[in-house]
Amino acid sequence: MGRNLLAIRHLEKSDIETLLERGAEFKRAVVAGKKLPQLGQYVVGMLFFEGSTRTRVSFEQAAHYLGLKTANFGAAGSSMGKGETFKDTILTLRYERLNALVIRHRSSGTPILAARYFGAPVLNAGDGQHEHPTQALGDALTILERKGSLKGLTVAIVGDVEHSRVARSNAWLLHKMGASVRFVGPRTLMPSHTSMLPGSVYYDLENGVADADVIICLRLQRERMSEGLVSSSGEYAKLYQINRDTLRFAKDDCLVMHPGPLNRGVEVDDTAADFDRSAITDQIGNGIFVRMAALHWVFTEEPPKPKAPAKPKARPKRRPAPKTKANV
Amino acid sequence: MKILLKNGRILDPSQDLDFVGSLVIEDDQIVEYGETVDETDVDDLFDCTGYWITPGLVDPHCHLREPGGEHKETIVTGTQSAAAGGFTTVCCMPNTNPPLDNPALIDFLLDRAASPEAGGVFVAPVGALTKGMRGEELADLAALKSAGIVAASDEGFPIQDALVMTKAMEFCVQLDLPVLAHCEDANLARHGSMNEGAMSAMLGLKGVPRTAEDIAVMRNCLLSLNTGCELHIMRVSTWSSVEMIRQAKYLGAPVTCEVVPQHFIFTEEDVAEFDSHFKMQPPLRTQVDVDIILQAIADGTIDCIASDHSPHASHEVHAPFDDAPFGMVGFESVLAATLTHLTHNGILSPLETVRKLSTAPAKILRLDGGSLKPGETPVAQVTVIDPELEWTFDVAKTFSKGKNTAFNGMPFKGKALLTFCGSEIYRDAHFDGGRLQMVG
Repeated sequence: MGRNLLAIRHLEKSDIETLLERGAEFKRAVVAGKKLPQLGQYVVGMLFFEGSTRTRVSFEQAAHYLGLKTANFGAAGSSMGKGETFKDTILTLRYERLNALVIRHRSSGTPILAARYFGAPVLNAGDGQHEHPTQALGDALTILERKGSLKGLTVAIVGDVEHSRVARSNAWLLHKMGASVRFVGPRTLMPSHTSMLPGSVYYDLENGVADADVIICLRLQRERMSEGLVSSSGEYAKLYQINRDTLRFAKDDCLVMHPGPLNRGVEVDDTAADFDRSAITDQIGNGIFVRMAALHWVFTEEPPKPKAPAKPKARPKRRPAPKTKANV
Repeated sequence: MKILLKNGRILDPSQDLDFVGSLVIEDDQIVEYGETVDETDVDDLFDCTGYWITPGLVDPHCHLREPGGEHKETIVTGTQSAAAGGFTTVCCMPNTNPPLDNPALIDFLLDRAASPEAGGVFVAPVGALTKGMRGEELADLAALKSAGIVAASDEGFPIQDALVMTKAMEFCVQLDLPVLAHCEDANLARHGSMNEGAMSAMLGLKGVPRTAEDIAVMRNCLLSLNTGCELHIMRVSTWSSVEMIRQAKYLGAPVTCEVVPQHFIFTEEDVAEFDSHFKMQPPLRTQVDVDIILQAIADGTIDCIASDHSPHASHEVHAPFDDAPFGMVGFESVLAATLTHLTHNGILSPLETVRKLSTAPAKILRLDGGSLKPGETPVAQVTVIDPELEWTFDVAKTFSKGKNTAFNGMPFKGKALLTFCGSEIYRDAHFDGGRLQMVG
């Protein structure tokens, strides 16, 4: 049966710790050339309904290390391109005896829907603006390597928070592990209601990165300009770029991260992207090891105990009846 | 043919009637009601002890999907579902394919609704306000009225241009047609799939801000005040819209409004697991909105309750949240949801419940129905309701082709057991067969 990895928000802290520890173990084993557990009996479907190179390659590389077989599907060539419904596509893959699915989709929540129909492990490789859990795990492993702990750190997530699944997954993970999260960006790229997100909001970069231990830059999509959310990439860079000047407000040993691909000169300048405290290339490498951990985890861990059957959705008692003359 | 409904609680808001008595339908017309009635020569007798005898329910807002959406619903299945829900008259919206913007389509629809295999309920078509519901040129409203429309609306494609809306309203005043408006600023709502708020921010779903509704409600209320056009605002969902409608009524605008059960029962929190059965238009809002809506239902600011019956094929609903269509079926759940969440909670009295579901919508749309007064309607429109019946909604057992509902598996208290539109058109399995006696 196995487990799903659908969102960091759904994970217990102990699950996150397990995944990070296992990711670190896999990294040590790979670097040392040690024997890795082999899951050769399983076939993993790679469903990328949205273009992606780095995440797909990273998952494939992770699967390769674990001896997993992969079956690739893309949006253009898939049966959905011929009009098949999402549900039927997932059911078909289930009856074609795939053992797990890695899914990327432009719509938030799609892996959760897929998990309902598939009945075997589903891993979220990025869904809309919702979550990108393995990216967050890779980022967390990178921070752990450099800082030793996540607890007590101040992490500034800078840029287009509204449209970023990376921001949401990172925020949930860091918050659950005891870090303090700040969302920094222009109002037009910040969710208008942030009370259910685990972080505080800063519209000013200087205050947002003040004394930060880690800065995670978010990619600025060019379409935000045409949508009128940002006037120009130049103005965005002027206000929110992480560079030599703005880094002065952060701690001296502040780590700079970016999920990639970089818009050099927009979110970061060359100095910030390439200097010794940049962890951008580490993030890429660690992405593979946490994805190995995720694939191993979904196949080897017991699923959480089923919850008690959901109670029917009648809930008249949660609100007081307004005063009225009417009586039954 | 003489039918006697005996010993029920007769509830008729049009005459402020609330007493235990009997009602007689003869030759498809209500001929008499009272504590005692003439029981001679009765052909059918229904013992309604413990039940309500009410005017047939009237739905101001539903979708029958035909023509063009027959895979979702047809006029036959839709009207059968309506009858099962206790409705005797339903107003169907014009967003079919093609839209109901020419008289031939109205003729087709009315013919289909009157066919023997249909559910036997009256279908009152709502015509498109503009050609193709594109919000640009007015539809041939006079011809549509001659063909039988009872109101005009561009439904889910609301007119964005205030000048076009003004002209549409002015023309409808001249034609004595109410305008039904789904109020939404399309630019603000663009690409949104749920309420814009803390939940949408967490889930990473594009939100529809409440201002998208509020701005359009305010604009349309002002235009109604200015033109004198009777404006019925469909499916109110925000507390601020309710407040504006209250103000518009105070200022004398001929404005009425409706709410649908999902907006007084569910909130945006129900979207937490991306279940597209909770994808509504307008979206499910917050508990604050629900609380204010409940107060507005109780104090009469919200005039009536609609089904917004919106059937979709299952493959359309079982899709990623962004891709799934809006809405849910409602004919067979709206009465039960209202009784369960409003009547049994003391928010509405039985008489007010019937007013919201029958008398008020009939009056707003100037339809026959909403009354038990003999001779008031050409044929009897009567619903018998068991207000105490506890049952669980099972969408698999419904008549509608659409099985998309957030109410599936929900416990309800109260149900329509018998529906008469002229003669009996629906009898629920819960109606105790033992109660039916042929009187020789």
